[in-house]
Amino acid sequence: MSMFHTVWVVCRKELKDAFRDRRALVSLVVGAVIGPLLVGFMFNRIANRQRQVEDIKLPVVGAEYAPALMEWIKQQGGIEIVDGPADPEAAVRDNKQDVVLVVPKSFAEDFSKSKPIDLQLVSDGSRQTAFPKVRRVRSLLTRYGAEIGSMRLLLRGVSPSVATAVRVEDIEVSSAQQRAAMLLSFLPLFIVLAAFTGGMQIATDSTAGERERGSLEPLLLNPAPREHIVTGKWLAAVCSSALGVASTAILCFMMLRFIPLQEFGVRFRLTPVEGIGVLLGILPMCLLATALQMYLSTFAKSFKEAQGYMGMLIMIPMLPGIISSVSPLGRQPWLFPIPIVGQHVLLGEVLGGRAPAPAMFVLSALSALAVAGILLWLTTGLFRREKIIFGR
Amino acid sequence: MIRVDALRKRFGTVQAVDGVSFEASDGRVTGLLGPNGAGKTTALRMIYGLMKPDGGSVDIDGVDGVADPLAAQARMGVMPDVSGLYPRLTPREHIQYYGELHGLTGNVIKQRTEELIESLDMKPIANRRTSGFSHGERTKVAIARALVHRPQNIILDEPTNGLDVMSTRAVREIIRRLRAEGKCVLFSSHVMQEVSALCDHIVVIAKGAVAAMGTPAELLERTGRANLEDAFVALVGLDDAEHHG
Repeated sequence: MSMFHTVWVVCRKELKDAFRDRRALVSLVVGAVIGPLLVGFMFNRIANRQRQVEDIKLPVVGAEYAPALMEWIKQQGGIEIVDGPADPEAAVRDNKQDVVLVVPKSFAEDFSKSKPIDLQLVSDGSRQTAFPKVRRVRSLLTRYGAEIGSMRLLLRGVSPSVATAVRVEDIEVSSAQQRAAMLLSFLPLFIVLAAFTGGMQIATDSTAGERERGSLEPLLLNPAPREHIVTGKWLAAVCSSALGVASTAILCFMMLRFIPLQEFGVRFRLTPVEGIGVLLGILPMCLLATALQMYLSTFAKSFKEAQGYMGMLIMIPMLPGIISSVSPLGRQPWLFPIPIVGQHVLLGEVLGGRAPAPAMFVLSALSALAVAGILLWLTTGLFRREKIIFGR
Repeated sequence: MIRVDALRKRFGTVQAVDGVSFEASDGRVTGLLGPNGAGKTTALRMIYGLMKPDGGSVDIDGVDGVADPLAAQARMGVMPDVSGLYPRLTPREHIQYYGELHGLTGNVIKQRTEELIESLDMKPIANRRTSGFSHGERTKVAIARALVHRPQNIILDEPTNGLDVMSTRAVREIIRRLRAEGKCVLFSSHVMQEVSALCDHIVVIAKGAVAAMGTPAELLERTGRANLEDAFVALVGLDDAEHHG
């Protein structure tokens, strides 16, 4: 009997068993869907907020005193003037308005005398959500003031540039853009997590579950070498994990296609080549993650204990991200062969628009495979132990 | 044919099996009889190759069971003391899985599966998932999957333990049929009635060692008791405790 026969028989049985397990299916689907959905939802919220800024209703008290200013504001587009509330300060304080403009009665008189006009902009400095709106209104008013001032200088035969000692060019890195970039940086993490959540159910059910049900002893009575049985179980977990990774990645990419990233000022190219690069970078992680899960689950005394270990394992793929947020990992060649770190760096490179050398892909895949091989060997050793076979 | 010689196994300070030797021949039902904790299950586990003996030998049809457990297992059909089934697979799939693990081809598996389902009277449950099966139904599935490769030697650890009357009768029927086919059947039990109803040859085990063996008639003669139960009590030493303690 060839090795491949046993491996294939065990692998097929475990997959069949797992896909009849509603709990396993739900965890696979939820694991694949939740990340992309979450990011999509967040993008949607940011986009909504962005649209709020673009389409402002500005309540004005005393609009009748400054028809010229109102006319100018209306010409700016994306802003509409509405009647202001009787008590502007109370309205802002009670969260009825984000911002209110108050025009003084003396507007026309001050204007004709070329005296500074005291406009009041009522806003709540502690309300973060109102910031973009307030900033937009203030910059409009500042621009209006500058235009009028320039015109007055011109009328007096002075070049407006004389009054402009410094010109500040605003390069906006708005918070929306930052948030969008941060959200994008979560996507690789979700894909990596899918490698762990995708194979988890099979890895635990086919080891700790098999022990707990008492089906391990009869299974090992079949004249098949332990390493073939272990390899078959592992392959089933790898298939499920790879399925999780692929579906998460595809969902992420589909979602990104629907989000107009340019609107957020985020430069992010996403071609099928990069998609394949991401998959090539992460799939070796499936080999490693499932081998680690299987080893720990076989070791566990019960299914419950195994699930506890799985929860702790989920932390592992997050570690490189946490470390790199404190001190960037960089992209030195020696990072690539380190399991999990290598995949993290590869992914960062691909998504950052740089193409890592093919040797780096091979190197990180080989190291993941090597570590997986050692873990499988250790797991096979556990499958030989009488305490593991009979001890429950 | 199963032959064991001077099997020994120690767990920590407990000598669970201490020099067990016996032979179970073809066409005969051999019963391993002993009280709970006597070392029956440990002895069987060493025979079916999942536990390594500290000393002694296991011979299955001329194959060294200690040196080459896989070859020995290919000649055995075993139902361990727990009939662990996969709750999401059907009996048919259980039999098929074990057939594949024994390296049988698809057609042979299909044919044997039908035979086993027919002969073990499992038609109504053959395509149902095993979760929620009764103890008797579970035992039948465990026996069926152990027989798919038509082993010459059949080992059953406490096969009728906890079964109702109908299921017990069914299991006994299976064992008799296997004997009629010329198989070597070795089973363990702590229940006197089971052993006396089925066995051609009885090996009485107490405190990890063979206390006596022979046909039921021989055991009665040796102990001078009128029935097997009294003979059993005398052989495993419970009698002494009653008289002197």
